Amino acid sequence: MEKHKEQENKGMSRRRFLSVMAGAGVVGAATTMTGCRPVSDPSGIGWLPNQYRNASAQPVQVKGRVPLDPANVSLVRNDEKCILCGQCLEACEKVQSVFGYYELPVIDEFICVHCGQCSLWCPTGAIAERSDVENVWRAIQDPETVVVVQTAPATRVGIGEEFGMGAGAWAEGQMVTALRMLGFDVVVDTNFSADLTIMEEGSELVERITHGGVLPQFTSCCPGWVKFVEYYYPELIPNLSSARSPMMMHGSTLKTYNAQKLGVPYEKIVNVAIMPCVAKKFEASREQFAGLEGGAGKYYNDDTVKDMDYVLSVRELADMIREKLDVDFANLPEGQYDQIGSTAGLIFGNTGGVMEAAVRSAYTLITGNEPPAALLDLQPVRGLEGIKYASVPVPGVGDVKVAVVSGLANARQVCEDIKAGKADFHFLEVMACPGGCISGGGQPKTAVPPQNWVREARTATMYAHDKAGVINGSAAGAGQMTTEKGVLNLSHKNPQITEIYADFLHEPLSHLAHDLCHTHYVDRSDSLIRK
Amino acid sequence: MSSKVTDQKSVLVDLTKCVGCGSCTVACKLWNAQSFQNPQTNEYENAHGVDVQLDSNTWTTVEHKKVNKDGQEVWRFVKRQCMHCLEPACSSVCFAHAFHQTEQGAVQYDPSVCVGCRYCMIACPFDIPKYEWEKVLPSVMKCQFCSSKLEDGEAPACASVCPTDALMFGNRDELLAKAHEIINNDSRYLNHVYGEKEVGGTSWLYISDVDFGELGFPTNLPEKSIPENVHGFTRFTIPIFAVGAAAWTGVSLYAKRRHAVAHEGHHAEEHHEEA
Repeated sequence: MEKHKEQENKGMSRRRFLSVMAGAGVVGAATTMTGCRPVSDPSGIGWLPNQYRNASAQPVQVKGRVPLDPANVSLVRNDEKCILCGQCLEACEKVQSVFGYYELPVIDEFICVHCGQCSLWCPTGAIAERSDVENVWRAIQDPETVVVVQTAPATRVGIGEEFGMGAGAWAEGQMVTALRMLGFDVVVDTNFSADLTIMEEGSELVERITHGGVLPQFTSCCPGWVKFVEYYYPELIPNLSSARSPMMMHGSTLKTYNAQKLGVPYEKIVNVAIMPCVAKKFEASREQFAGLEGGAGKYYNDDTVKDMDYVLSVRELADMIREKLDVDFANLPEGQYDQIGSTAGLIFGNTGGVMEAAVRSAYTLITGNEPPAALLDLQPVRGLEGIKYASVPVPGVGDVKVAVVSGLANARQVCEDIKAGKADFHFLEVMACPGGCISGGGQPKTAVPPQNWVREARTATMYAHDKAGVINGSAAGAGQMTTEKGVLNLSHKNPQITEIYADFLHEPLSHLAHDLCHTHYVDRSDSLIRK
Repeated sequence: MSSKVTDQKSVLVDLTKCVGCGSCTVACKLWNAQSFQNPQTNEYENAHGVDVQLDSNTWTTVEHKKVNKDGQEVWRFVKRQCMHCLEPACSSVCFAHAFHQTEQGAVQYDPSVCVGCRYCMIACPFDIPKYEWEKVLPSVMKCQFCSSKLEDGEAPACASVCPTDALMFGNRDELLAKAHEIINNDSRYLNHVYGEKEVGGTSWLYISDVDFGELGFPTNLPEKSIPENVHGFTRFTIPIFAVGAAAWTGVSLYAKRRHAVAHEGHHAEEHHEEA
C-alpha cells in the first residue's frame, strides 16, 4: 500500500501516460481518416489583379504580358515586379502591331523589334533596358582607353526630366558638362552624324529619283523600323535606304577619321552612345557593324573591332549621374560639344524631322539653290499625327511627294498600301515610336503610359531650337578644326561635314562612304509566319 | 476518394499556342504569395526559362526548350505543374491523409497533418511534390489547382492570365472533346491527348505538335492508375498484418503458457522438496 501511494505522488504513471497518448493517436487518426477537421490550404494567400478574379465563363479583355527572350539584347524583365497588368501587350500589339501578327506556334525566335515601348508602358519598371552601365564604367576607368560618347538629338530634351526640370526642358549644355564630369574623354554630337546621314541618304534619294531606282525610298535611321521590315515586309527591303543610322555612321567614322585626326590608335577608342532608344542596343550588336563586315573592321582589316561598343539609354545616363555625381543637374554650367551638328540634325529626334532635314538639303542638292523659307518650317510633316503626307515643289523635278509615319501599326498600314500599289510618294520616313525618338523606348518615364502632353513639350523645345538655329559645338576634341557658334539649320552647310568629305570621304556615296556609312539588311521572314 | 469529385474541372494546354511569356508562372507566384528566391540558393530566379525547375516555392514553371521539328530547331514552351490525377498516387500512399480531392478534382495537400515522410514524392509519376529542404520542420509543396478559386467558379490563376489561350479551363469531358476536335481538324497535331489516359487520367491535359517525350513528359506510364495498379498486392496488407498479428499473438500466448506451466512445475517441485 505504501509503495502504491509513492507512485501516485510522483504524478502520472507510465501506464497512464501511454494510454493517454494512444488515445490521442486513435482520435487523431480517426478525425483524419473521416475528414472531420478543417483543411489548411497553403494556396491562394496572395492576390491577383481584379480582372483575373472573375467567373471563368467571363472573358477577360486585358491579360498576360509580352513574350520576352531572356537573352534579348535590349530588354530585360524582372518577374518580381510584374503585376500582369497587360500594358506591355497593349503597346506591343495595338501600338506596334508586333505581338499577335504572326502565326503560332512560334518558330525559333521571340519576335521583338526592340523598340522598348513596353518598357515605357510598364508601370512598375519590371521591363527595363539591359544595362551597359557597368561596362561603360569599366571603359572609363581603364587608363588605356579613349572613351568617346555621342548623344542623340532627342536626349537633350529628355534627360532634364530625370532631374526635375519639367517635360521637354532643354538640357543640352548640362548634359555635356555631366558627361565630362563622369569621365568621358570626348563628347560628340549625333546631330553631326545626322547631318552626314542627310548627305548620304539625300544623295541616294536623288540618285533613285533621277536614275529610276526603287521608290519610295524608306528612311533607315530607326532600328526598330528596320527590323520590322526585315520580319514582316522582306519584299520591301530594297526600298530601305542603304544609309546607316546616324549612330552607326558615327561609330565607324569616329574609329577611322576622328581617330586619325586625334592621333589615337583606333583600338583604344571605345564608342559609347547615349540614345533615347533601346533598339539601338540591338542595332549596335548587328553583325553588319562588327568585325570584317563592319566599317572600322573592314577599313583596318581587323575582325576584333566593333563600330559601336556600348549604347546607353537616357535613363541609364541619369542613373550614372545619380550614382557618381552629387550635383544639382539643372544648374550645371553649360558645356560645349567637341563637334558641330546642325539643327536640321537636331530635329531628327521628332517624327517628320528626318524628312524635313532631308528636304531642306535635297532642294539644294537638286537645284543648287538655298531652300525657300517654307522648307525651313515644313508644317505638314510636323506634329504627332501617325501618318502625314506632304508635297514639296522642287524646280527641275516637279513635286517631291513624301510620307511621314510614326508608330509601327501605322507603318504596317502604309506598307500594305505600298504593296497594293496605292502609295503615291517618293520618300517615306518611319519612326517606330509614336512621336519619334523624343518618345523613344529609352527616354525618361515622365508619364506612364506615355502621354501626348509630354511628347508635345519635347517636340516644341526641339523646333524652338531649330527655329533659332543656334548650335553649340566646338572643334578640338574630335580632332576637327572648324569652330562654329552661330546659326546652322542646314545639314549640308555644316562646315565639319564639308571637312569630312574634303579630307576623308571625298563625296557622298563614294567607295569609302559606302563602307563606312552604308549597310545591308537581312531577310528575317523565315523566323515567323506572317498573319 | 474520387467519389467526392462531382464537378471535375480541367485545363487543356495547347503547347503550340504557348509563346513563352511566363505570365502563368507570375500569376502563380502572385496568387500564392511566393517569392522569386530559390529556397536553397536564395538567388533570384524567374520561373520560366531554359533551365527552370519546380521547387517548394515554385509550383509551376515554363521551360523554354529548343527541339527538333521536321529538321528545324524550334522553340517550344512547356508548362509544368501538378497534373491533378483523377486517382492520385500521392494521396493513396499518404498514411497521414495529407492529400484529398476537392469537388472540382483539385488534389489538395494539407501541410498541417503532413509528417514529412516523402512517400508522395516517390509515388508521384510526374515528380511533382517538392520538399522544403531548407526548413527545420519541412513539408511537401505542390500546385493546389487554386482550389479556392475553383470553388468560387474561377479559373486557376495561371489559366486566367494566358494571353494566347494556350491554357483553356473548363469541364474535363468538354475539354477532352475539344482537344480531339482540334487534333482531328489540324494535321500538325499529334494524335494524343496527354493526360487523357495516362495513369488513369489527369485533370491537366496537353496537346502538342512535337513528341511529348522530347518535351520532357514521361511517356512510359501505364493507363491504369497507380493506386489501382498496386491494389492487387496492397489490398493484402491488412490481411497479412492481421494474420501476422494473430500468429504472433498465438505464439506469444503459447510461449507464455509454456513458461507458466514450467514455472508452476518448478514451484510444485520446490513444494515437494520442502515437504
